[in-house]
Amino acid sequence: MATCGELLVQLLEAYGVDLVFGIPGVHTVELYRGLPMTRIRHVTPRHEQGAGFMADGYARVSGKPGVCFIITGPGMTNILTAMGQAYADSVPMLVISSVNRTEELAMGDGRLHELPSQRNLVAGVAAFSHTLLRPEQLPQVLARAFAIFRSGRPRPVHIEIPIDVITMQVAARDIVAPRNIPLAPAPRRAELERAVAWLRDAKSPLMVLGGGAADAAEAARSLAEHLDAPVIHTANAKGILPPGHPLRAGENMAYPPIHQAIREADVVLAVGSEFGETEMYPDPKPFVFDGKLIRIDIDPEQLVRGFGADLPIVADAGAALAEINRALGIAATAANGDTPGARRAAAIRQAAKKHWWPAVHRHQKIIEAVSAALPDMILVGDSAEHVYALNQSYEAPRPRSYFSSSTGYGTLGYGLPAGLGAKLAAPDRPVVVLAGDGGLQFTIGELAAAVEAEVPLIVLLWNNDGYGEIKNYMVGRQIQPIGVDIFTPDFQTIAKGFGWEARRPDSYAALGAEMKSAAARNRPTIIELRADDPWIA
Amino acid sequence: MSTERARNPKTSNQIGGHAAVALLETYGVDTVFGIPGVHTLDLYRGLAELGMRHVGVRHEQGAGFMADGYARASGRPGVCCLITGPGLMNAATPIGQAYSDSVPMLVLASVNASGDLGKGRGRLHEISDQRAAIAPLAGLARTVRAAEELPGAIADAFALFETQRPRPAVLEFTLDMLAAPAEVSGARRERKARPVAGAEDIARAAALVDAARFPVVLAGGGTVDAADELKAFVEKSGALCVTTTAGKGVLPDSHPQTLSGTLALSPTQKVLGDADLVIALGTEMAETDSWCERLPINGKLIRVDLDAHTLTRDYPPTIGLLADAKPVLAALTAAIKPGRQPDLARAKAVREANAGDLDQQQQKHVKVLMAVRAGLAPDAIVVSDMTQIAYTANVTFPLERPRCWFHPNGFGTLGYAMPAAIGAKLACPAREVIAIAGDGGFLFTVQDLATAVELGLALPILVWNNDAFGQIALGMNERDIPELGVKPKNPDFQALAKSFHARTEKPGSLAELTDAIRRAFKADGPTLIEVHEQADYLT
Repeated sequence: MATCGELLVQLLEAYGVDLVFGIPGVHTVELYRGLPMTRIRHVTPRHEQGAGFMADGYARVSGKPGVCFIITGPGMTNILTAMGQAYADSVPMLVISSVNRTEELAMGDGRLHELPSQRNLVAGVAAFSHTLLRPEQLPQVLARAFAIFRSGRPRPVHIEIPIDVITMQVAARDIVAPRNIPLAPAPRRAELERAVAWLRDAKSPLMVLGGGAADAAEAARSLAEHLDAPVIHTANAKGILPPGHPLRAGENMAYPPIHQAIREADVVLAVGSEFGETEMYPDPKPFVFDGKLIRIDIDPEQLVRGFGADLPIVADAGAALAEINRALGIAATAANGDTPGARRAAAIRQAAKKHWWPAVHRHQKIIEAVSAALPDMILVGDSAEHVYALNQSYEAPRPRSYFSSSTGYGTLGYGLPAGLGAKLAAPDRPVVVLAGDGGLQFTIGELAAAVEAEVPLIVLLWNNDGYGEIKNYMVGRQIQPIGVDIFTPDFQTIAKGFGWEARRPDSYAALGAEMKSAAARNRPTIIELRADDPWIA
Repeated sequence: MSTERARNPKTSNQIGGHAAVALLETYGVDTVFGIPGVHTLDLYRGLAELGMRHVGVRHEQGAGFMADGYARASGRPGVCCLITGPGLMNAATPIGQAYSDSVPMLVLASVNASGDLGKGRGRLHEISDQRAAIAPLAGLARTVRAAEELPGAIADAFALFETQRPRPAVLEFTLDMLAAPAEVSGARRERKARPVAGAEDIARAAALVDAARFPVVLAGGGTVDAADELKAFVEKSGALCVTTTAGKGVLPDSHPQTLSGTLALSPTQKVLGDADLVIALGTEMAETDSWCERLPINGKLIRVDLDAHTLTRDYPPTIGLLADAKPVLAALTAAIKPGRQPDLARAKAVREANAGDLDQQQQKHVKVLMAVRAGLAPDAIVVSDMTQIAYTANVTFPLERPRCWFHPNGFGTLGYAMPAAIGAKLACPAREVIAIAGDGGFLFTVQDLATAVELGLALPILVWNNDAFGQIALGMNERDIPELGVKPKNPDFQALAKSFHARTEKPGSLAELTDAIRRAFKADGPTLIEVHEQADYLT
């Protein structure tokens, strides 16, 4: 016999979960009973918002769902923003919470942590939310969650377990192995043949790769090289083509040269992208396609949103690209810098670069110094000036190595906890968080969680003493700045108070050296740059 | 300056953002809490040009808790101004707290443009249905798509605050509404009144009071604005009176007929069981008031509440009055017969038994709490977090007035105390306000220490440090669950506060603690006062 709570952690372990984020509470203690008997590690954030962002960072790097244990009520309302970010950016996240006892649900008796309906609350930011009324439901509900994570458009899933159900006994024979999870769909033959015919005949093809293509990098690269097609990466696709690849044609789809190239291509192949407005920062505009548009996406609804596609294909990016490559007879290809496609890509790239605003040049120079020191790093960004800038210019070393909360939901406070989750997923790679002073304050308590979890994270802090981005907008619209020039604490002493190292480099060389030492250290480090540092051009 | 120009409809182009702020002004709103974002720029245009005070915070959760503290201290709604999506979701926990503690809170949020709603286009800050996401936490949630809807929507919100059981109202403004031209000059306030009980109902209730041998009053958060009426009723009826945590101080603790806020203690619960009439006023009689499965109500029960559901729920009353406690108490006092002598000996004995009911750890808490009390003026406001010392204080901390003890009661969230104290201090700048938080709860919302520094608030923040989520560690130990995730590594709180340019104190004795609090009230910024559970002077 085991309790439902013990069965849960055993099943999670069987699904490959190795890490859970949570703050135990009176309502969730029974979820923790079985945890020490598994190999699952538990990491304690300082706020449930931190738990959610940690799970997000862990998921984006590992490709596996980030898992959280959350208390009823305030724990769930605390994690909502993190679920919203994961929802908007298609991140797999499993949020398991307690809820009041079965017979108390929706009774409104004023119980501790009570809400009229916790499920209604999370419905807007979850693929589904399930109330577990019997322990026997658990294997099926978990299988549904993992089916979404592995075979659908990944999004947060919420399972709430009433306190009385957590402690219900289950017979050992009911403790079943994980169910077989179906594979994600591949394209049908007719669709495949049309796509292949269009691509084969294309004179000026172009590819747009989104976050959904992150696990299909090899196939995407082979196809691009075979077609000799310039490739646009969205922010979440960065790293699919390696840095310096001759077919890389840029990022921001609102820049006139890129917008024009998309318009003029005779076939655009878009894989796993929403074409969301946050890929066209700061000035989104409607897309025009003079040629044919093929879209591949795991989400059928996505394929009919915004503008329709000439050929919409519901399929897993990896499966679809593999089929297309096979049909085109693509064997090994090699990047060649002197093809018509490479010359088109170079022209687009060069013309797009003229639209970089001054901060893009500034932050690209800074990040080049960081990259030279830590070539294989993972960059995790908040919503901050240097992140908006690097979305335009940075070339990530491989997929799942650059992401931020500036896309989609666009929240503050994401960087530090998501970076912590990222580092736990990839302990052997350096992880650098790009945070602004405003965003870092949002979740600053998580500095303590990083020390406690012994995660040697690096935070590259861009301090402009306020909400600089919003101030610029206010000034631009002739609104008297209000609430944006905020008092900012001394981050050097804050960091030290939490047991972090803190540094203030005074040159690009010193920045690189500090990055190397920070990566070699077994404690986390804040490296603070100020907008008025004289050495930063 | 720009304020004058904006008020003159002839010289300025007015948009939805102006219209919303102008209406708030007519309803007496003077302060909003928030963080501006790209989506709320046009609302901020209204705030800036109409000269309303804006308090910039470091996380929208802070904005919500500040609005809560502001509302509990002033009795007027606290207002926050939030961006679409993450801004509103960040405030979900404070909105949930205000919902369960019946706090009036007006949440203004932007939402994507009317033409984008429900389309899932991947717009910045978008979620599938923002109104639906927040509705379970709100007494009212409305989408305002045109400026013409603003007067009605804001009137609805204030009708909720002023005539019903107060709860958060969320108004989401579409981006196009905020930016579109709008009429501002006709802003006016609508007024409505709370329900009162009919004469016949009062007469029936008075007859029950007159017939009772041993009546006991249970006063909840719904009575905090009826202190004089409650005192008159208790004295004329000879009833003993106990309060919930939300009702703390409504009858002065020095009053001979009070059992104070000890509803959770068994000697007090026995008194309720012995009563042949309980008069429950403005209280849910909920788990977080009594901490027992069911209060022993053996006699008759009169319940007075603004919320019909509360009247029909788990303790069905002999007589239930859907009305405001204040006029009901005044009418009942006039209608009952005088002459019953209060059982003062019983009251005294129960108070003594309650005091003897404390375990060793609680006695340690009481030592600290008495040193805190000694440092406070009689009308000081204490804002506490979810922390063991506050649980002890809920039943022991002496108060002479209502609206002086705020605790995140029903929803029970961490991180409430400091930002709510900031809101309380802004509502009542002339009064002393102190925050009491545990180490874990303090870290939940530590970033808004920067807000307190920026505002130069003379705010002592007592951090009760036991280097643990102590209550949960206790729960795990009791259930033989291995301790996991409850002994977090703490920062150096002194260094942390100093880096925010806050003052710090680490008293070496109880007397020094009292002095540190007094000094903090004279400072030009907040003071973190750290008291460690294992400090030598507490053993």
